[in-house]
Amino acid sequence: MKRTMTLNLSDAEMSVLDAMCEEKGLSKTALVRQALRLYKSVDDRLARGEKVFVESADKSEKVELMVL
Amino acid sequence: MKELVDRVFLLNRATGRFEDADLYHGLDSTNLAHIEGRWRPLFELRRREAKASLQTLAEVNAEDAHWEWGKKALAALNDPFLFDFFVLECGGSTQAILMTRKGGQDCFSRHPEHQRLPLIYVEFLATAPWNRPKLVAEPTYKGAGRALVGTAVSLSLEEEFGGRIGLHSLPGAEVFYRDAIGMTDLGADSEGVHKGLRYFELSSRDAATFLSVQH
Repeated sequence: MKRTMTLNLSDAEMSVLDAMCEEKGLSKTALVRQALRLYKSVDDRLARGEKVFVESADKSEKVELMVL
Repeated sequence: MKELVDRVFLLNRATGRFEDADLYHGLDSTNLAHIEGRWRPLFELRRREAKASLQTLAEVNAEDAHWEWGKKALAALNDPFLFDFFVLECGGSTQAILMTRKGGQDCFSRHPEHQRLPLIYVEFLATAPWNRPKLVAEPTYKGAGRALVGTAVSLSLEEEFGGRIGLHSLPGAEVFYRDAIGMTDLGADSEGVHKGLRYFELSSRDAATFLSVQH
């Protein structure tokens, strides 16, 4: 069963959402679903004490990803 | 615990007629009882026969005989956010079962046409042993595996993943995914939990072709 919700976003936030939907070829619903899954998968790892890193393209820099 | 989502047709090879099959989202204790009480004894029988005749499980189409669907179902039910289960019932029995994942590191395309785009990952797909060529002399129903591949493609479309699906195949099923379904063979994984298994993907374009063909 699916439920419907209303989301209040600022103009700037909505612009980012629109741009990402356009770039990814997804509806707002699908994009939010994907973002939620990504967020949860990262959060689950952090909760287990793991760390998530982001590496630069040339591999010279590696920083830990910090989330809420 | 399960919900009827569609009705498909399976070819009864004995009668030559198509029969209605019910496709459910989710599964219940009846399905697990079918697997434990009807699937497993047949798998065990063939496993013993294969061992006695020095055949591999791949040669008798029973490489997945050890899969514990009860444990898999429990894992999926505990995490409906990521996992979906589908079962196909026909003739009073469970004819095939499918477990999919819609989030996580396996859910990104490796296909050169659309690398890194999201997809539905097929964790496990199995048809009843009596439907399998090589496992039994006269298989009962034809089309159960294909119907559940179609279900995964439909889920992918519903999730706006363009019909893309991916999976790691057991060696004995590679021909089915490559030749019967038309998936792209992207080679064997060299590391990770699927090490040694070949990875197959159905691209968005191939998914459209798959759905357009009358089966």
